[in-house]
Amino acid sequence: MLIRIIADLLLLIGAVFALAGTIGILKMPDTFSRMQASTCVSTLAILCVGLGALLYAIFTMHSASAAVKIAVIVLMIFVTNPVGSHAIAKGAYRAGFRPEKRMEVDEFRRDFDE
Amino acid sequence: MSDFVIFAVFFAALAILNLIRVAMGPTPADRQVAGDSADILITAALILFSLYSGRAVYLDIAVIAAMLGIIDTMLVGRYLDRGRWHYDADSDHS
Amino acid sequence: MQKAKFPAIAATFVLCFGFWILLDFSFKPQELIAGAVVSLLVALFSARFFIHEKAGWFCNPLRLFSAIFYWCGTFIAELVKANVDMAKRCFGGCRNINPGIVKIPVDLKSDYGQAALANSITMTPGTITLDIAEDKDGKTWYYIHWIDVVTAEPEKAGEIIKGRLERGIRRFWE
Repeated sequence: MLIRIIADLLLLIGAVFALAGTIGILKMPDTFSRMQASTCVSTLAILCVGLGALLYAIFTMHSASAAVKIAVIVLMIFVTNPVGSHAIAKGAYRAGFRPEKRMEVDEFRRDFDE
Repeated sequence: MSDFVIFAVFFAALAILNLIRVAMGPTPADRQVAGDSADILITAALILFSLYSGRAVYLDIAVIAAMLGIIDTMLVGRYLDRGRWHYDADSDHS
Repeated sequence: MQKAKFPAIAATFVLCFGFWILLDFSFKPQELIAGAVVSLLVALFSARFFIHEKAGWFCNPLRLFSAIFYWCGTFIAELVKANVDMAKRCFGGCRNINPGIVKIPVDLKSDYGQAALANSITMTPGTITLDIAEDKDGKTWYYIHWIDVVTAEPEKAGEIIKGRLERGIRRFWE
């Protein structure tokens, strides 16, 4: 029963962070800030959901294959997600999409003069 | 047992909210980022629904969704980068 | 393209075979033999694209334990802190942001260390690594999009963004 409460708490934390990321994606003013907000979904939300599901699969379902598959899913998202995020941020900058307002420091444009 | 399906429906609803940004995003990068985020949320919903229904098929689908989410992101990123796979800082910038 | 060495092939084989077992998850001998044959073929053909530096770097238990301590302790602590900060900004109406691109110096030499540091910076919400460049003196610079620019000076910004992460990574990848 304790395991169920801990798992539900982790799922609730994950849901709160996923809601924060979704609000950020919908309401942030420019492209790069939306990318920053979407990182919130893909790190702590999926980590909390995976941990909760892992606890439930180990201690209540007693299923080794489900636990291993959930661990593989979380690990794979953690390994591959920053690579895609980095690629699309650099591609968006090079394709000419600029943040709209209040760009404080712009060293990238100064060094690569694009 | 039924709280898993509640959380699964909640994550799926968040994924549908992300599709709004996919539909109205001004740039292709916005659409791709929101689509990637929706993919991850759908993966979380599939994990929870597999625990609810007790069938391992949904976990396999979640593994494949997590694996293939990277490929379209890399593809769109490199397309926006105009196909420069190996970028050299000393070569031409055009 | 250099020729593949034996430790690289062995490391790739172990990775492929582990992934086969994870996806298949049955321990009958015929399936294990089929997986071993396929993994060996894949390792022979693709090890030279996959591993470029020393393959047995993590066989030292000191490095392995410091790596596990980094990924499970320091990195998770930074991740939770940055996530709470980002969630506050999102729930607060998305208006108190101050985005900009800064440039920070990095002292790590190894390719894998630089890649691990760039991925760690990208994973923490609030910072995304845009590019890695090397100047004429051989010093490495990262270009980072930061959502709340406190200072534009490279050393101070680097200390705020990557101070603990770089000290953690330097214990196992110099």
